[in-house]
Amino acid sequence: MSSPAIQVTDYSWKYLHSTTRAIKNIELIVQPGECLGLIGSNGSGKTTLCNSIDGLIPGQYHGIKEGRVEVFGTEVEEYRRGELQRTVGLVFSDPEAQFTAMTVEDELVFGMENLGLSISEINRRLEWVCDLADLSPLLDKPPYEISGGQKQRVALAAMLAMQPRVLILDEPTAMLDPVSRERVFAVLARLRKEREITMILIEHSLEHIIPLADRMVLLSNGRKLHEAPTRTFFSDLSLLRQEGIHLPGAVGFSGYLRESGATTDEPAISVEEAAQQARNLRGAAKGELS
Amino acid sequence: MSYVDVIDLAYTYPDGTQALHGVTLSIESGEMLSLIGQNGSGKTTLSKCLNGLLLPTSGNVVVDGHDSKSSSISDMVRRVGYVFQNPDHQLFNPTCRDEIAYGPRNIGIREPEVTERVEEAATVVGLGSEHLTEHPFFLTKGLRQRVAIAAILALRPRVIIVDEPTTGQDARQAREIMGFLTTLNREHGHTIIIITHDMDIVAAYTERILAMAKGTLIADNSAREIFSNPAIMERASLAPPQITRLAQALGDMGIHPGVLSLDEMIAAFEGS
Ligand SMILES: Nc1ncnc2c1ncn2[C@@H]1O[C@H](COP(=O)(O)OP(=O)(O)OP(=O)(O)O)[C@@H](O)[C@H]1O
Ligand SMILES: Nc1ncnc2c1ncn2[C@@H]1O[C@H](COP(=O)(O)OP(=O)(O)O)[C@@H](O)[C@H]1O
Ligand SMILES: [Mg+2]
Ligand SMILES: [Mg+2]
Repeated sequence: MSSPAIQVTDYSWKYLHSTTRAIKNIELIVQPGECLGLIGSNGSGKTTLCNSIDGLIPGQYHGIKEGRVEVFGTEVEEYRRGELQRTVGLVFSDPEAQFTAMTVEDELVFGMENLGLSISEINRRLEWVCDLADLSPLLDKPPYEISGGQKQRVALAAMLAMQPRVLILDEPTAMLDPVSRERVFAVLARLRKEREITMILIEHSLEHIIPLADRMVLLSNGRKLHEAPTRTFFSDLSLLRQEGIHLPGAVGFSGYLRESGATTDEPAISVEEAAQQARNLRGAAKGELS
Repeated sequence: MSYVDVIDLAYTYPDGTQALHGVTLSIESGEMLSLIGQNGSGKTTLSKCLNGLLLPTSGNVVVDGHDSKSSSISDMVRRVGYVFQNPDHQLFNPTCRDEIAYGPRNIGIREPEVTERVEEAATVVGLGSEHLTEHPFFLTKGLRQRVAIAAILALRPRVIIVDEPTTGQDARQAREIMGFLTTLNREHGHTIIIITHDMDIVAAYTERILAMAKGTLIADNSAREIFSNPAIMERASLAPPQITRLAQALGDMGIHPGVLSLDEMIAAFEGS
């Protein structure tokens, strides 16, 4: 059997000067082509876990690591310099942390040049991501002199252009307007259909992860508190509420119907499904009356 | 005349980008409102015009009867405070105490009063004294956001504009931040303008919405009105909160298209 895309085994990490471990004995497997939604409150360890898969930890940070973090069967620390970063693309929530170039165009091209792509391939992908993230009018601008959401779109586009096998998105759309946000998630969904890409998606807005994620993991205080296929994940909302997670309207409403005993259906996780549940109940009520 | 009057405002950046044109609006003292709109629509630029960081290319910004073109920047920042979209762009002092004291010192407030203002601002945003001696960069994002807000509060402006205060915050922290912004509004009488892309926040905390698209104001109305007007929503690249969309999908069951919360949705459903 081929190895998982990501396999994390009894993994703990303590930043050098902190007293507690940021990640505590985590076990996690993500299969090639799978999309994992990762949620949890601030400080729960999401970013630390992702940085560990990209090799930034322990590469760029000092601390104590225990256990193993493997990408396609190889421990991240055993990859040759630069090799892991070709496989795993990481988009940060702070786009400026990623910028190095003087213009938006150079920012988009830089990573592709590093991959040694041909000029024609670079141009093809440049056109693709510009179209996708609506960046054409901004190409000549310095990446610092554009709006917050535009910066975030540049950061995301630069990573997508490199087409990594594993894509880790750490709150990639927090600054996007609702429509641009929908568009990014539509692109990610299309990407998943078109080729095998393994994804880890972190967002506080569950509404956007749900349609994409095959499976969800809840982190709390460095530990894995809950893991399940996306729909099943919402069977019991008490844990999520206790962790202060904001539930999307449809999930919250379906939760109300289920908890009040009105329905025994599975949890609804989209507007359409929740609307259907409501309709079925009213239909049933009318049926009883007549 | 209102506390803030913006009259036919246009702003063009030095590189020729026309970020605002034909913006006219008024804000009364004591309001709490949200400023929404697509990326690049001009929200941040408008805010910087309101507090005098940017001066109009044409048109006027008048705050408390003073035109920004003929006021000094230190006069403007006493009236309108702007908390940056990314607090890290605002914080540069070695301790939180210095960070919060920076503004008042800069406009010539004397030391005993500076200390008083720092303590007051820190209390309002819920920063403990243990945090005041720390370096802002070692705090969590939620706390840094508070320091950034406290630094503006210490200038005691009547109007406070907070640019995307809940971005990158989890739901609990977002509620806390919105909670104390509401307190600032209700109990301390500050006019609060929230810039946000989070429609759940808009629906839950603000009554009046200013919606921008492509450098101009396209709507100025209540959340309920705007969310139930598909034409405006589309022009502003907006989508109503999911709970509102659920209500709209059930319109034929007699559920109002302007539902703004789960509680309203449950009540509407039980009454249907
Ligand atoms: N320093 C700058 N120099 C030149 N153009 C700029 C600068 N900052 C912003 N712009 C441009 O001005 C327009 C308005 O930008 P602004 O930052 O006001 O948008 P915004 O509504 O705050 O967007 P977002 O929701 O993405 O933060 C955009 O076209 C943007 O690219
Ligand atoms: N560079 C760092 N040095 C020390 N501690 C850190 C560092 N980055 C994060 N932490 C700590 O590790 C824990 C997990 O943080 P993080 O991974 O950023 O969580 P999340 O992404 O879920 O908000 C927190 O307690 C945080 O304070
Ligand atoms: Mg994080
Ligand atoms: Mg902005």
